Amino acid sequence: MNTRADLEYWIGRVALGDRSAFSDVYSATSAKLFGVILRVLNDRAEAEEVLQEVYLRVWRNAGRYRVNGLSPMTWLITIARNAAVDRKRRRPAVGVVSDTAVLEAQADPGCGPEHAAIAASDSAHLQGCLDELSDGHADAVRGAYLEGETYADLAQRFDVPLNTMRTWLRRSLLTLRECLSR
Amino acid sequence: MSDETPDHEADKALAGEYALGLLSPDEAAAFEARLATDAQLRAAYADWAEDLAMLTDRIEPVAPPPDSFRRIEARLFGRPSRRAGPAWLRWGLGVAAAAGLALAVGLGTGILDRGPMPPANPSYQAELAAEDRSLVVSAAYDGSQGRLFVERQQGGARAGRALELWVIAGEDAPQSLGVLPDTARADLEVPAALRPQLDGAILAISDEPPGGSPTGAPTGDVLAAGPITKL
Repeated sequence: MNTRADLEYWIGRVALGDRSAFSDVYSATSAKLFGVILRVLNDRAEAEEVLQEVYLRVWRNAGRYRVNGLSPMTWLITIARNAAVDRKRRRPAVGVVSDTAVLEAQADPGCGPEHAAIAASDSAHLQGCLDELSDGHADAVRGAYLEGETYADLAQRFDVPLNTMRTWLRRSLLTLRECLSR
Repeated sequence: MSDETPDHEADKALAGEYALGLLSPDEAAAFEARLATDAQLRAAYADWAEDLAMLTDRIEPVAPPPDSFRRIEARLFGRPSRRAGPAWLRWGLGVAAAAGLALAVGLGTGILDRGPMPPANPSYQAELAAEDRSLVVSAAYDGSQGRLFVERQQGGARAGRALELWVIAGEDAPQSLGVLPDTARADLEVPAALRPQLDGAILAISDEPPGGSPTGAPTGDVLAAGPITKL
């Protein structure tokens, strides 16, 4: 296992153009990030491309790592998750979600066994706080983060107007924030 | 919800929406522009990023294909690196590079590896220079890619220190574009929120600890600066 200090040191060296440190970061984190990207995309070929893009960003943006104040793993996971979601949203079949897309019937992606497995695996504190949210909103948070679902997707899934969905979810986010800060 | 102001509450929800990728592109760009200057908003975002990353806690690691790293290196450097070399050599190169010796560039990354190339059709350029020209850096911005190419013409970081590049637009606080690598040339991504602000802004380089300013604002001396001009 590598410590947070190792990763921070390596990222600092990567910012200075140190390829050896870049290799160290890759060795320590690529399997985790590949797992996250695969989870979002569920397509190995796409995930391999996204993984490469993620480490290109790591190389180029290492100098800005400290600006956001994130832990190194969170920084890396966030880059990977965002890149995977960007890729997923660019898929032709999904396309840009429009108002008409909300009206189209679609299988509910949030109720499969895979979803239940993830729900069982969140860290305990986060899980406890998600459990405090009223019905379905924990799934909305997970769906947005792990599936890249948009407000339009969520409005469709919960069968409510988009603005209602947004009002709801913002309220739930504040509840969640309050609980997580306890 | 105690003594929190409504604005601060709204920002917490907004930061959560941003972290979840729920904002529209316009909203996200506006959020990022605020993020660059608003430490409280940055902290709210960091809280969400940390907590939401826990959603991946037990996603099983999956080994990427064995040639994946070679491909990444090829895309970044044009060819795979010969990894490492003896530890003492790497250490020596690190010291040499920190001292700004041209030797380190030649030995460390190969004489033929010139690093990134300048853009063919830059939309802006700048020359950042110290008063005594002990540090001179040229910059060219490629608007189509949102990337800034920088090349150190003269000088380098002080021993054990790093050079960090900042853009200063109008009266705004300096915003970091990142730490310059040891190599003479670098290709930096300009955050989307910053791109519209480049015209007429100032680029500056400050002296920072390795890895860059820990605060998000310049902490050391400003070593060189220059205005961005349109081409």
